[in-house]
Amino acid sequence: MIPVQFDYKTPATLDEAVALLASDLDGAKVLAGGHSLIPAMKLRLAQPQLLVDIARIKSLAYIREEGDQILIGATTTHYQLESSDRLKQICPLLPECAKSIGDVQVRNKGTIGGSIAHSDPAGDWPAAVLALNADLVLVGPNGERTVKAESFFVDLLTTDLQPGEILREVRIRKPSGRFGQAYQKVPHPASGFAVVGIAVNLELNDDGSCKSAGIAVTGVGVKAYRATGVEAALAGTSLDDNAIAAAVAHVCDGIDPNSDLYASGDYRCHLAQVHTRRGIQTAKARVQ
Amino acid sequence: MIGIGLSTYVEICALGPSQAMPAGGWESATVRIEPTGKVTVLTGASPHGQGQETSFAQIAADELGVNINDVTVIHGDTGVVQYGIGTFGSRATAVGGTAVYIAIQKLKEKAHKIATHMLQADASHVAFEGGKYSLEKAAAAAAATGTSDPVVPVGEAPAGALPEPQTEGKTSLTIQDIALAAHLAKELPPDTEPGLSATYFFEPKNFTFPFGTHIAVVEVDRDTGDIEFLRYIAVDDCGRVINPMLVDGQVHGGIVQSIGQAMFEEVVYDEQGQLVTGTLMDYALPRASHIPEFELDRTETPSPVNPLGVKGVGEAGTIGATPAIVNAIVDALAPFGVKHLDMPVKPENIWRIINGH
Repeated sequence: MIPVQFDYKTPATLDEAVALLASDLDGAKVLAGGHSLIPAMKLRLAQPQLLVDIARIKSLAYIREEGDQILIGATTTHYQLESSDRLKQICPLLPECAKSIGDVQVRNKGTIGGSIAHSDPAGDWPAAVLALNADLVLVGPNGERTVKAESFFVDLLTTDLQPGEILREVRIRKPSGRFGQAYQKVPHPASGFAVVGIAVNLELNDDGSCKSAGIAVTGVGVKAYRATGVEAALAGTSLDDNAIAAAVAHVCDGIDPNSDLYASGDYRCHLAQVHTRRGIQTAKARVQ
Repeated sequence: MIGIGLSTYVEICALGPSQAMPAGGWESATVRIEPTGKVTVLTGASPHGQGQETSFAQIAADELGVNINDVTVIHGDTGVVQYGIGTFGSRATAVGGTAVYIAIQKLKEKAHKIATHMLQADASHVAFEGGKYSLEKAAAAAAATGTSDPVVPVGEAPAGALPEPQTEGKTSLTIQDIALAAHLAKELPPDTEPGLSATYFFEPKNFTFPFGTHIAVVEVDRDTGDIEFLRYIAVDDCGRVINPMLVDGQVHGGIVQSIGQAMFEEVVYDEQGQLVTGTLMDYALPRASHIPEFELDRTETPSPVNPLGVKGVGEAGTIGATPAIVNAIVDALAPFGVKHLDMPVKPENIWRIINGH
């Protein structure tokens, strides 16, 4: 099908974009890479009256470091994140997650901000930013506010973004000390979306025991979530096989798993356990 | 958990004798050598990726001794090409290629007659080789006088009008010379139609029977039920091979389609009759990342059914591969008493079998 008729504007600055959204709080929608929104518009699942295209606002795409923070502009593409040598050194979960998304064409256009704001139940970025305990900077008609990732993903395709707000930056504390990261993804053979996607961010004490773990899961529930049960079970352990096995048993606690033609809920939870285990083992092996 | 699956097949190809076909099993070809010496092949076969534009040009080039770039193969335009039956049932080269081949033999017969006449020799003293009709050595020595015509390299257009061909004292004539002479019609043998064009409708007396063996070696992941190919080997016999790359391509494509059928593709309706696998987001086609390296080999047992010895190879890959793959997965699960699996074999099915869920 073709989309319902719509207007299209290309603001030159973020302030202009916010003003355009404010002019039509119900009917305006932000467009960045468009690889989730435009298919939805073609199916008429989304019928915005005004598209506000922020992809051309160059100042919104960046990867910077300030102090102990990594700052990523919302319209930074998956490709830019995948190919950042600096990130491969200081926070490799980000390029590894980016590289697993879609295909080359999708990664050239899709943005980290768009993926987070869209909050697809199988989206990869939500899992990565949850595991990294990221802060999300939102800007709207009432100014700016910062929200923790774990409060941002509310429900199926629903985030804490209020009408008129735009996600403008992702902030991640630079991993420090002895850390290891991994992104494990089981791609659906047709769509390529995560049947399960597990993001792992481990920080170790000097003696090799687990100081903290960020473990986030996508593809299993209505939204990406932190597997806090797994995280708590790992903390303080030596991350030996028994500890890991006991911990990953909690990966679906409190979650009603998705079920589809390719994978039932039971199997999905089982895959989540297997891949959480493998993700933790990989992250541990990568610790310097 | 490793499994080895084997499949040996014999298939029926090169459809087929008209008695056994619903609306004709022959195939048509017209081959013309134009006054310019270029060759036009009109075929009733209708390739859509199988590559007969190349392999039929190869047949013509080999048989006529012309440059392959001087051969044009035309198909599919019903305003231009005589009626044909088409491309299916692995028949285009075995039946259509044979029609081309036999039409060319008719052309060569006529060209030989014209050459013999123009060289003023006995038919038995004129031989065709390398695109030329030449007098045997003894007769050649008697005829040589040293004149020669301007030479236009094959594949190029002449810079100006050519003088009339001189055949006094010639010891050989190219097939392009013959083609031009056939159209100028000044030196044709008595009772010879001008032009150099032949049409043939080849009626095969039988089907052909290609065969082969495929072997798949897979590893099943105990934890997830994922299936990984460790090796994939195929040895097929499609008779005489005209173009090895085209044959390999057909086998590749067939194996990939089998991987799709064995492991990914299914059409599913819900209880209300709604198509659930309605788009490529749900209907999984095999992709490059799903495909193993293939180890391919061949034997060539020429078919007695047609003068080319060709059997056909369009479907061999799909026939050999699907059972080899499923057999391999069944073999990997043999410790669990598995003797059969429905397709597509999906990781969850395998996980349930292994874990008794």
